[in-house]
Amino acid sequence: MEDLLAKTILIADDAEINRDMLKFIFEEQFEILEAADGQETIDMIEENKEHIAVLFLDLLMPEKTGLEVMEWMAEKGYMDLIPVIMITGEATVESDVKAYEYGASDIIYKPFEPKVVMRRAMNIMELYEHRRYIEQKLEKRTRQLVESQRKLQQNNDFLVNALSSVVEFRSLESGEHIKRVKNFTKIILTYVMKFYPEYQLTQDQVELIVNASSLHDLGKIAIPDNILLKPGKLTDSEFQEMKKHTIYGCEMLENFKQEDSEFYRYCYDICRHHHERYDGNGYPDKLAGEDIPIWAQVVSIVDVYDALVSKRVYKAPYAVEEACRMIHEGECGVFSPKILDCFDLAKQELFVMAEGVSFADDKEMQ
Amino acid sequence: MTVKECYDMMGGGYEEVIKRLLDDKRVLKFAVKFLDDASYDTLQESMAQGDYETAFRAAHSIKGVCQNLGFVTLSESSTALTEALRGGKNQDTSELERQVREDYEKTVQAIKAMQESDAAQ
Repeated sequence: MEDLLAKTILIADDAEINRDMLKFIFEEQFEILEAADGQETIDMIEENKEHIAVLFLDLLMPEKTGLEVMEWMAEKGYMDLIPVIMITGEATVESDVKAYEYGASDIIYKPFEPKVVMRRAMNIMELYEHRRYIEQKLEKRTRQLVESQRKLQQNNDFLVNALSSVVEFRSLESGEHIKRVKNFTKIILTYVMKFYPEYQLTQDQVELIVNASSLHDLGKIAIPDNILLKPGKLTDSEFQEMKKHTIYGCEMLENFKQEDSEFYRYCYDICRHHHERYDGNGYPDKLAGEDIPIWAQVVSIVDVYDALVSKRVYKAPYAVEEACRMIHEGECGVFSPKILDCFDLAKQELFVMAEGVSFADDKEMQ
Repeated sequence: MTVKECYDMMGGGYEEVIKRLLDDKRVLKFAVKFLDDASYDTLQESMAQGDYETAFRAAHSIKGVCQNLGFVTLSESSTALTEALRGGKNQDTSELERQVREDYEKTVQAIKAMQESDAAQ
């Protein structure tokens, strides 16, 4: 009982004698507030809501009735904060049911039997107190969980970024390719989510896929320098070796396979299938149509587009319009009509971003 | 006059009330407060003015207080009047009003007598 945080009892009854008769039961252990009508009750609650452990509420009062007071409390969300014990003179099933419907915790009848009133009030106060305690504990726990999840996510992002920058470093690519792939992937996925609900993509999935996209060329780390860094056109056998980066990447991932991980699945699919084409003429598995996971399809077009508009050791950048034309006309392989549609929708955004980024590239190269 | 004699005089339930409030002094303290309760005056005024909603609430209030104080006789007559006024006056209440008046006066007399003998002690 001493543990109760709220130690005030509000007694609302228009008859002073009735208030006094409740007061004498509780005044030794509690602060007592009194209200003589419905409006006064509302004002008292508003002013003292943090401290009120229980409200004794007379049904029939001037200004506002007990039921109207409870209606107001429900509107304000105070019914969960302050337990209400209804005071009534007549025990009719009808009025009892009504009181409970309005959210009263209990009902006491005149004449007040002090021991019964005290026990009931204590039970209800303890129950509410306990609930409040549990809620606070839960809230604290939830905050901690959210925070530790945020830290984990941060660490995870750091490691994924570190890993993908290893690949970039090795390929002597500017540090911007992976950033652009992530950004473009996000833009196009957002359109897919919006206009092609059949893929059932969610915002959470999009976040994971965007992260996974940064590892699409992971396998390039296993390609020999003379092929990876060759300034001129690759020979057939060199190209065959280069194509294997899709398989090498997956082999690396398989070493630490995570069976039930969605993120693992996106990483794996994207590493393996980001060079597949919609007509089955891609590699390494010659998957066609919707057999190619949608996340791999998106990263494919993004990867192609970015390669076209970027400077590479073996080529000068194409202008954006030219790059778009080449993609549409299948010069870099066939993409699904849906993906092309989303690509067109995203073009303006891609253009703006690519402009900004390639400008940054030039600076870096100087 | 003892508290029990006062309750007997007004037709109250002394046995019941002492069980709840435990000692005579406390019963006396609460009973005396009844003299300051304005509900009876409100009832008279509002009945005279034909304001039956206020009259209903006043009768209801007398009833509730009497239940708490164990003033059985007045509690019963005020309950009857309360019910007759519930939802507006739709019957002749003059006999019920007369009964409440009679019981109220008897109750007040008994309390005053007890108050005086207590003050004399």
